Amino acid sequence: MQMQRQTLFLSNWFFPVLVGLACAGIVGATSMYINFGIGAMNEIFIVQLLDAGLQSGDYAAAAGFAAGFLIARVLEGPLVGLLDIGGSLMTGVGIGIPALLLASGYMFLLQDFWLALGLGLLIGLIIGVAIIVIRKIIPEDGMSASGTDIMMGAGNALGRFLGPLIILSAIQYGMLTGAGAIVGAGLFVYFKKSIIGGAILGAMIFGAIGIYI
Amino acid sequence: MLILYAIIVGFLAGAAVSAGAARMYHIPQTQAMGAFRTLGELNACQGDRISHFSFGFGFLLNSAAAAVSTGALTQDVLHRVIPNFSAGILLFKNKSIEETLHNPYKMFVVGGFVGAAVLAFLVSLSSLVPTEVAGIAKEILTPAANLMINPIMPIVFLLAALDAGKITGTWAVIFGGLAHIIMGNGTPGIILGILIGQSIADNKGLNKTSIIMITISVLLFISIAYFRGIFAKLGF
Repeated sequence: MQMQRQTLFLSNWFFPVLVGLACAGIVGATSMYINFGIGAMNEIFIVQLLDAGLQSGDYAAAAGFAAGFLIARVLEGPLVGLLDIGGSLMTGVGIGIPALLLASGYMFLLQDFWLALGLGLLIGLIIGVAIIVIRKIIPEDGMSASGTDIMMGAGNALGRFLGPLIILSAIQYGMLTGAGAIVGAGLFVYFKKSIIGGAILGAMIFGAIGIYI
Repeated sequence: MLILYAIIVGFLAGAAVSAGAARMYHIPQTQAMGAFRTLGELNACQGDRISHFSFGFGFLLNSAAAAVSTGALTQDVLHRVIPNFSAGILLFKNKSIEETLHNPYKMFVVGGFVGAAVLAFLVSLSSLVPTEVAGIAKEILTPAANLMINPIMPIVFLLAALDAGKITGTWAVIFGGLAHIIMGNGTPGIILGILIGQSIADNKGLNKTSIIMITISVLLFISIAYFRGIFAKLGF
């Protein structure tokens, strides 16, 4: 029994099931974010791309950024034997596909949590099957996904800009929030954490002091 | 209701990602999902349950800070927190990593419960923040995010393209410029330019892949331009 389960969970056809379940959870989380403002399983700056689209109605940036990652990672996945869930599922499926759907006016698919789960499951199954099929048909060194490393490098470099921008934005918002962002970011740098979290938390805490006192 | 949703998505994603992480130990026979850094970090803890827990906990605090302030849980939840907590829990009963961390079935079951618990924790934590304070975070983040999207994102991608050589740079400038005219943001064009330009540079000329990509991109641009009324603006 033990070995049977092990073989089942390691089999090729079980891979699409796993991708499907992961995508269902991730798209469901995006649906939670759209409805309740909490939940999206991605970095702050990537979620902000979707958020900017929700506010302005222009999803070109979010869709373009995330769909690029999805295509690159799905091509790379079968080549290296490891599908990167950050670029493909969390960013591509969790942000890119919702942005495309919202831009085309299919808001209801994401506003309804259960529809979002089903949608994620379906997308994940398709991606999983596509990867297994690519894996079967390509020869060992037949296809190259050129340029993906450049894209990934730029994507990672991009995340670094948000911290400094938040500090600037907090200073423009007000003296107190600005001071909070500086203190928070400073502390987080000292303790080797991402300054994004420190800057926002600092601004929020100092801002709250301003409201309540 | 929100907590129920969090438990459902946490269970689904946590179970799948933990099983995917266990499959990473069976590459290349098996197609896995996860990330190379996750694999490296799981290995770095060397099956020591305290290391797995403390590593996951450090990133859980990071995710909690992000969740409270912006509602984004960060990628670390699925990359680091859930796989490491699941590994740590499994290692409590059995010290052999071959029978625990490398076993996708056990990781699937434990990962599901860990995911549900982590998501429920993060969501309930963020609901403790009063709305006025969350409003401040929103008003600070929105202008920062708008600057990220335009102009920083196209600039970062274009600089990366220029650093990659003249062929990639040229394609990225042309497609990026057109995308900025057509869509109001250069990034999608620059990414397509990088993928096309680099595949031409690597293959020392056009091949089937790059021709297909160019055709799709051009059709995509023309149709977007049509629907956004660019041709009408130009007087066609």
